[in-house]
This record gives sequence, C-alpha cells and structure tokens, in this order.
Amino acid sequence: MNNIYLPNSAIIKEVIDENEQIKTFVTVFRDEMFNRSFTYEPGQFMMVSIPGLGEAPISISSTPTRPGALHLSVRKAGSLTNAMHQLQAGDYLGLRGPYGRPFPLDIMGKDLLFVAGGIGLAPLCSVINYCLDQSGSHGKKIILYGSRRPSDIAFQSDITAWQKHSNVTCLLTVDQEEPGWSGSVGLVTSLLHNIDLNCDKSAALVCGPPVMIPPVLQQLKKNGFTDENIWTTMERYMKCGVGMCGHCHMEGEMVCVDGPVFNKAELNSLKLET
Amino acid sequence: MKTISKVLKKDHLKSLLRKLAKDRQLVAPVRNSYGDTLFTEIEALDGVEIDLDNQAQSSLKSFLFPQQQVLFEYSTDQGSAPVYKAIDSDGPTVFFGLRSCDLAAILYMDVIFLKEVKDPYYRQKRENNILISIGCNEPFSNCFCRQTKSGPFMEYGFDLQLTDLGDRFFVETGRAQGEEIIQQWAHFFSPASKEDEKAQYQMRLEAQGNFKRQVLVDLAIRKLKDDLVPEEVWSKLSSRCQDCGGCAYICPTCTCFTINDRKISTDSGERIRTWDACTFAGFTTMAGGHNPVDMKQNRMKRRFMHKLYYDVKSHNRTSCVGCGRCVDMCFGGVDIIKFINMVGQGEI
Repeated sequence: MNNIYLPNSAIIKEVIDENEQIKTFVTVFRDEMFNRSFTYEPGQFMMVSIPGLGEAPISISSTPTRPGALHLSVRKAGSLTNAMHQLQAGDYLGLRGPYGRPFPLDIMGKDLLFVAGGIGLAPLCSVINYCLDQSGSHGKKIILYGSRRPSDIAFQSDITAWQKHSNVTCLLTVDQEEPGWSGSVGLVTSLLHNIDLNCDKSAALVCGPPVMIPPVLQQLKKNGFTDENIWTTMERYMKCGVGMCGHCHMEGEMVCVDGPVFNKAELNSLKLET
Repeated sequence: MKTISKVLKKDHLKSLLRKLAKDRQLVAPVRNSYGDTLFTEIEALDGVEIDLDNQAQSSLKSFLFPQQQVLFEYSTDQGSAPVYKAIDSDGPTVFFGLRSCDLAAILYMDVIFLKEVKDPYYRQKRENNILISIGCNEPFSNCFCRQTKSGPFMEYGFDLQLTDLGDRFFVETGRAQGEEIIQQWAHFFSPASKEDEKAQYQMRLEAQGNFKRQVLVDLAIRKLKDDLVPEEVWSKLSSRCQDCGGCAYICPTCTCFTINDRKISTDSGERIRTWDACTFAGFTTMAGGHNPVDMKQNRMKRRFMHKLYYDVKSHNRTSCVGCGRCVDMCFGGVDIIKFINMVGQGEI
C-alpha cells in the first residue's frame, strides 16, 4: 500500500543564498526514474523534512516547465528551517508531495499583476516563470516586489531575467534605504498607484507577510480588480498535507487541500477578514 | 441488503466470542479492578467481566488511531541518504459491545482517514474488523445520540447489532460479514420468533423516550448556521476552559494529530503521530510565532463549530455523536451539552 507519510529522499545539488534569512535549495530526487516523472503545478507545496527534526510545508519556487530540479526557498523561522540553513550541497532532504490546489491554469494567459513581499515571492516565482515559459503566452506581466532593505532582495537572478524580458515590468521597493540604493522606498502598496492594466482582463496574484496582505487587497480593489480576480496563497501550520491532521483548518476548509491558493471571493465567503 | 434476524442466548455469548477471537484480537468493554469500564483487548475470556451495563469511559478511537503511533523509523549514516522503514500494524480485530455512538464515531473516522487519500495506518487497523454493536435500551446519564442521529440504535455500519432482551440478545445483520458469522456459527443462534421481533421493536421504541437530558442539537446547528450565537457565549465558555485538551482526547471523533520526530540515537529515530487538540494554544502557531487563531475564545469556537457546523456543511452530519463523554471529562463545565443548551435556550 502506498504510504503517504514516507518521504522520498532528495539530494541537495546547490544552495543559493538569497539573503541573510532565505536560502533556495535546488533538489533532485535520488531515484532517477521518480525524479524524471515527478511533476507539480505552480502554487503547490512540498512537505520537507530532516530526520530527527520533523517536517514543514514549503512552497515550490521552481516551475514544472523546467523539469529536473525542484527549488525550495526557505526562510529561517523555526528549528527545522534553521537546521536546513546549515545544509550544503550533497546533503539530503526528505520530500513528499506535491500537495495543495495550485493557481488556476486558465489565468496564466491573462495580463497578470504579481504583488509580493519577502519570501512571498517564492510561490509566485513558480507562476511567473511558468507563464514566461509558455510559448503562447503574450500577456503583460507586472511584478511588484517589496523587501525590507536592498540587501534583503531575494531571487536576484530571476529578477534580473524578468527585468530584461520584453513582456515584463518588474518594480522593486524597500522599506529602508541603504547606501547605493537608488530605487523606490516605501511599502509595496505605493507601487500599485500607477499600474497600467485593464483590470477586467487581468488577475492579481498576491503573496507576502500577514501585515502586507490587507492593504494590498484594499488597494487592488480601488484599482478595479474584482474579488474573483485577486488570488493569494495562505500559510498555515500543517502536519500531514492531505487534509487529515486538522492544523490548517480554516472556517471549514483545509488549507492544504482546498488551498493554499484561494481567490478573495472565496476568502470572503469564509467570512475571513482580509 | 436484507437483514437477517436471530436470537443469541446470553449463555452462548462467551462461547461465540471465543470462536471469533480464535484468529483475531478481541476488544470489548471490560470492568477492571478499579471499577472502570474501558474498551480492553482481551487475551483470555475466562475470568474477564465484559460489562454491558455501564458506558465504557473510553471510546474505540485509540484502537484504530492510537494516541501515539510510530509512523516509521529512520536511520541516517554519516554521509549517506536516510533510510525510512515503515512500521506494520496488527491483524484483524473483533470489536464487541460498542454502542451506536461508538459505531457512528468509527464511520466518521472512516470519512476522515479513508477519503480519496487514505491513511495507511488507519486503513490497516480498520481492515478485517468485525463490529458487533449493542443498542442502548437505557441511554446513559449524559447521552444525547438521538439528537445527533447516531443512536440509540443504528441502521447501518455494524456487522451484527444486538438488542438486550433479558436472557437473550436479538441479533440483526448489517453487512455480509455479519451473515457469514451467523452461518459459520449457526449452532449458537436460534431463529427469531414473532415475539422476539415484537420485543425488540418495543425495546427500540421505548429507548427513544429514555433519554435523561434534553439537548437541542438541531436548534444549535440552525443558530450556528445563521450566525446567531452571541460572542458572549464563546467568551463565557472559554473563560472556564483550562486548555487541558481532555474533551478532544476523550472525544471519539476528534481526530486531529501532530507529527514529531523522536531521536533514538544520533543516527536513528522514529517519526511519531500523536493526538492533538485544536483547543491548545500552539495548535496553529507557525514557526516564527505568528498564530492566525490566537485567542482561547476563537479556539473554543473553532472546536464547537467544527463538530456542529462545518461537518454538517461538508459531510451532512454533526461529528458529535452524542456520547456525552466530554461532559464528565471537563472540569470547567464547558462541555458541548453546555454549549448547545446555552445557544438553544439563549441563556448566557
């Protein structure tokens, strides 16, 4: 019988230091056949474990359009993620998944607005690169990314690539300036004021720290986005990933299977204040 | 499926159980030397007092979903990939003497653990079970299963359902496995006469009226649905909650769990699943300290809402089976009956 709790062993091929708090682990399953057949969709997550330290849900930051290696971007937060930050290329992780409801594929061809803060860019990286890799996708993509300080800006190599892309506008902002920073200073909401998008034909994808979400959603509403066109991905404590353990229960929904991706209309119907 | 009705003399009960237990584990409510009645695994039937007069203080939850369970062992040799080894569960079991609420609770756990994605450990323990339940002629002091539609007798889910008729049991089959038992051990059973059928019908009818507490479950469900429960109800109840988790542990349908690793040596250990309780402060706290459900009031709300509202929404029935066990367990006196009646009667 298939045992959903048994992790698959994966080897870390590379560790990318995104900033002081975030590292991206480029992982490959040890079983090569499994690795080649493994696939997922943008917005899904993995349960990641180190034997002896336990498991945590981590969103996938790579895209299935670039198969072979799975990217997991991890912020130092608790005991497991702190231990992960000690790992190096050649070390092992236990992975099971992918889990969760992904971002809907039918929005990928639209004009898309991405609003992210900090580690929140990780799941959106997956969608952004997925869209850019689709040959038929010519929709406009606007990426707004807020970081605390310029030295905290993660996913630099992706950002560099996006800034060179003809269909993409990628704007960065920081909360606190540092010497050498000539870009925008202020909350990511400030970048939302001058967005040139036809809101009826586009969707907004939002992910960031809990404090960032409410003001961004308010501003998007002012910009003219309907609740059905505003998508976000929720973060919750999770133990199983398959809708059994109860930890991520949210007003009758299990974030691990009914989410983590929700649109704002769905969150409203759950009477969640956003 | 057509129900077959038989009669089993009480004198024959132990002999039948002995046969059934020959190649299976046997679990039944047993009164121990401390005077507690608990579902117990019976090694030898001689000298054991199977207690069908008192409500078992525990449910069968721990037999299918143990309070602590090793999911797998791991070992990590320096420099090589970790090896994960799953643990095998035990063999078939006869559960005897479970009440309608206990049976309903198992059927609810099936909904949670055996949906599209199956929990392999639960499934292993649930497979090859024989369920022999007994209806309640006299519901116990805190019972309200009639209101939760899970008793005092069940219509489905059992292999055999017994009705106590004094010196004998009326026996109904509910699943093919029950029929097989009756066929295989035919000499223990005799045909049910018209009188037996009448007596059983009468017992079932009277049982409906023998409940000692009035618990307005449907009214509470409606008020929760229409969002008519004042915040004051939650705050008043939660001020008496001691955060002990006792209600969730004793509850036959509370299935929330946590998973942790336990190191055995530097390079080996186990991944363990343990019961958890949504009333605990840390239940939803994420690494880094953010807690989306951080007031005791909200945690209590979530527990009762889950039992009486969310499960009605997603499974068309409450996950409270009306067994009343949490009533005796809660020393703050803020059990589910208290809640239901506070909501129903509008008393705060």
